[in-house]
Amino acid sequence: MALSEFIRGSQVWKSIFRHPAPRDRRNRVVVMLTNVFLHLHPVSVRKSGIALSYTWCMGGITFFLFLVETITGVLLMFYYRPTLEHAYNDILSLRDVATLGILRELHRWGAHAMVISIWLHMYRVFLTGSYKPPREFNWGVGVILLVLTLLLSFTGYLLPWDQLAIWAITVGSNMARATPLLGYEGPGAKLLQIGGVELIHSGSDARFLLLGGRFVGETALLRFYVLHCVAIPLAVALLIAVHFWRVRKDGGISGAL
Amino acid sequence: MEYESHHLSAAMQTGLGVYFFLVALMNAAFAHYCYRQRQDPVQSAIWLGVALLFAVHGVAFITHMDLVMPEAIKELVNDVMNPVSYFVIAVLGLVAFLVWRRFFTDPIVAWTILQVGLLFSGWSMTDYTFQQIITKPDNVPIVMLIFSVGFFTWLPMRQAIINDDRLARGEPPLEKLEEDKVLVWPDLVYTELICMVICTFALIVWAITLKAPLEQPASSSRIPNPSKAPWYFLGLQEMLVYFDPWMAGVVLPTFIIIGLIAIPYIDFNVKGNGYYTFVERKFAVSTFLFGFVVLWVVLIVLGTFLRGPNWNFFGPFEPWDPHKSVPLNNVNLSDYFWLYLLGDAIEGKGWLAREAPGIILILVYLLGLPPLLAKTIMRSYFIRMGFIRFFILVTLIQFMALLPIKMVLRWTINLKYIVFIPEYFFNI
Amino acid sequence: MAEPVAAGTIAEAGKAEAPAVKAAPAKPAAKPAAKSSPTRRIFIISTLFGSWFATAWTTFTASMIAMLLGTVRFLFPNVLSEPPSVVKAGSVSDYEEGKVDDKYKEFGFWVIRAKDERNRDIIYALSTVCTHLGCNPNWLEADKKFKCPCHGSGFRISGVNFEGPAPRPLERLAIRKTDDGFVLVDKSRKFQKEIGQWDDPDSYILV
Ligand code: HEM
Ligand code: FES
Repeated sequence: MALSEFIRGSQVWKSIFRHPAPRDRRNRVVVMLTNVFLHLHPVSVRKSGIALSYTWCMGGITFFLFLVETITGVLLMFYYRPTLEHAYNDILSLRDVATLGILRELHRWGAHAMVISIWLHMYRVFLTGSYKPPREFNWGVGVILLVLTLLLSFTGYLLPWDQLAIWAITVGSNMARATPLLGYEGPGAKLLQIGGVELIHSGSDARFLLLGGRFVGETALLRFYVLHCVAIPLAVALLIAVHFWRVRKDGGISGAL
Repeated sequence: MEYESHHLSAAMQTGLGVYFFLVALMNAAFAHYCYRQRQDPVQSAIWLGVALLFAVHGVAFITHMDLVMPEAIKELVNDVMNPVSYFVIAVLGLVAFLVWRRFFTDPIVAWTILQVGLLFSGWSMTDYTFQQIITKPDNVPIVMLIFSVGFFTWLPMRQAIINDDRLARGEPPLEKLEEDKVLVWPDLVYTELICMVICTFALIVWAITLKAPLEQPASSSRIPNPSKAPWYFLGLQEMLVYFDPWMAGVVLPTFIIIGLIAIPYIDFNVKGNGYYTFVERKFAVSTFLFGFVVLWVVLIVLGTFLRGPNWNFFGPFEPWDPHKSVPLNNVNLSDYFWLYLLGDAIEGKGWLAREAPGIILILVYLLGLPPLLAKTIMRSYFIRMGFIRFFILVTLIQFMALLPIKMVLRWTINLKYIVFIPEYFFNI
Repeated sequence: MAEPVAAGTIAEAGKAEAPAVKAAPAKPAAKPAAKSSPTRRIFIISTLFGSWFATAWTTFTASMIAMLLGTVRFLFPNVLSEPPSVVKAGSVSDYEEGKVDDKYKEFGFWVIRAKDERNRDIIYALSTVCTHLGCNPNWLEADKKFKCPCHGSGFRISGVNFEGPAPRPLERLAIRKTDDGFVLVDKSRKFQKEIGQWDDPDSYILV
């Protein structure tokens, strides 16, 4: 008692939390307004909107899993080198040598779970008709998030550099070769010629751009690594911010009018 | 060969025993719920009996009695299953679910279906092949996917039915009843905290019990058979059986993304915003269920569990034999037209003349059908939506329908391509 | 480097805000001229560069597009550390008719000796890349066919597809015989049957 009162009364505590504990109505409001993380939420919400049977908490779980992936991913990066020489062995040693050898598991299963939870989130948003005005735009943001989430998983799949990885990525990235006009085996690519010189060939098409080479090799590993660890997570984080902002600005979680 | 050993490992039997005990416990809890909540002693007694049945299973497996699924059942299932029947059963299942939704979402019925599913899964695990496929670490999420999609199809449909009844009586939907506001701290913040704790716990248990897979180091000359894309793309990979990569890998996914983004702009129905309902949005909900559950999830399950070496189809209990050979000789539409119908030679023709029938067919499908629909069965939609919205809606649905159409054509007349212009890599 | 340019343009655009109001009536003034012959060009030029404001925005947009294109081009590497494309594949006498071995599979091709359609005895190099989605098929000696493990395409020894989803035959690679009887395969040149390239003498060696 006395100790907790001492802590709460100290200058340090008060410099961080500028109001008494959220035990009464007033302070429960204030806490939401003064905390940068909590103010993602409004102060009060409609009861039906947060019922578990309504939202299934799937958006929240997706966000939570994104955080888990970020944290475990950063930890894995300390031990992983994206080169042909090291990649596979680094993954091996993450399993066999590292203390707490479940970080890779957490990261992988978290990623799988995130794909499932984001689908279910979309499913519930559709089934409650929550994409209808005024939330059309946020649904669109969500679709982009869905695509980015799948790309995150896909780029991560290559990194262990085992048989599973390169062949899944070979099959996947070969589809880029078939992009209409831009892939060298895509319909119409042969039409893009200047004076008989083909513009689109295996060294200039969409797949080459993705892999940085003609096949899944070291350049592809590096590109996927950078996309997986930096580019896509940044984009996802940015869009999640927009998504949450819009949930609030569009009138909070939907409900019957 | 490995798969001929019919004996179950001791650990597996113990595991199954524990599994059956857990299911027995679930049923006991359900019996309790029937008694207390529903005041229904008869149901309660039935489920107690079921719990007992599962408990007997549990004892049998835990004492290692070497029970296995009867061969006759396995063979029956294998014989019934092929890509055609699998897909048709899925579609019929969805239709039945929508038509008799009141029956299927009744808690007792849904529970019965779940229990039958659990019983069957448990017995299936005694089969070596099945067990090998299911317990592959990367396949575990798909088991989760099956159960969660099942549950999250049942739950909203049940709420929709309750709401539909209320709306029919002129009452507001359930969601409307809880209009009053609550403070986010503590109501929401604590829900979130508890949710996070549960998720963390579940994830850690999962990570400890199941090792992430790591196969042989990458090699560009030895290629695993079958080679599969990551599981969430297996629906797309299944489309590759019916379409060329540029369609299955580029055009159709692009249409999926554009189509999803377009949904809010083409769905002009103002009803059903913010509550579960079926009656008020029959068309929208049925189309989405078909797209998500059948064309996406069901195909993923097919790609994961039933596609084996050489991308051949294998029944759930059929050993993955890399030498199984299935003839895949398919015929192009142009062959049908020129050779079989007209008895003409196909060789000398230029691609335009040769493929004219297919090209015309596609053009009629894409450009002729929308106006026709606007004039006939979808007339009311056309009037309410206006030209642009209507055209986009129909085009999107047409692209979605391409997959089932091509599937049916493949199964019935063994068709390979409708349009076949290898000169320009343009095959549909 | 590009940043200051963009920033400068934004600043300019900001300054130009006021004159923009004045610039507006300039458009109707241009209209009478539009009636005479080179109308459209003048119209475009005057919308793009008719005022300082328009010029600033045009320059800004153009430089943004240029930067974007430059970035895309940057992503295409100019130097590849990929293995050389010409591979020495033993001597002509090493090859027996109708035999397929995987010696050069890791280099991306099989060297095969077989009879062609005109019943000539030839040696050709067949690419190991499945024309469906680029897996590597396996040679099944018993069935005398290449079978792709990914989606089940089948190819005859000649490379011609006959089953499964592959839309066209495997590709052949440039091959030639050196003066001292060695076989050289050049992976950078491909020959496709469906456009008649297998008749090209560079795609086979006559034995
Ligand atoms: C990284 C991915 C995503 C995260 C973290 C996320 C998170 C959230 C959260 C926390 C909410 C609040 C309500 C709830 O939990 O259901 C929400 C609402 C919403 N989400 Fe997402 N979401 C994601 C992806 C998506 C996707 C894929 C879609 C649809 C295609 C989508 C569409 C929406 C819409 C329309 C709302 C407003 C729903 C309403 O007000 O009832 N989101 N999202
Ligand atoms: S990659 Fe060979 S059949 Fe698909």
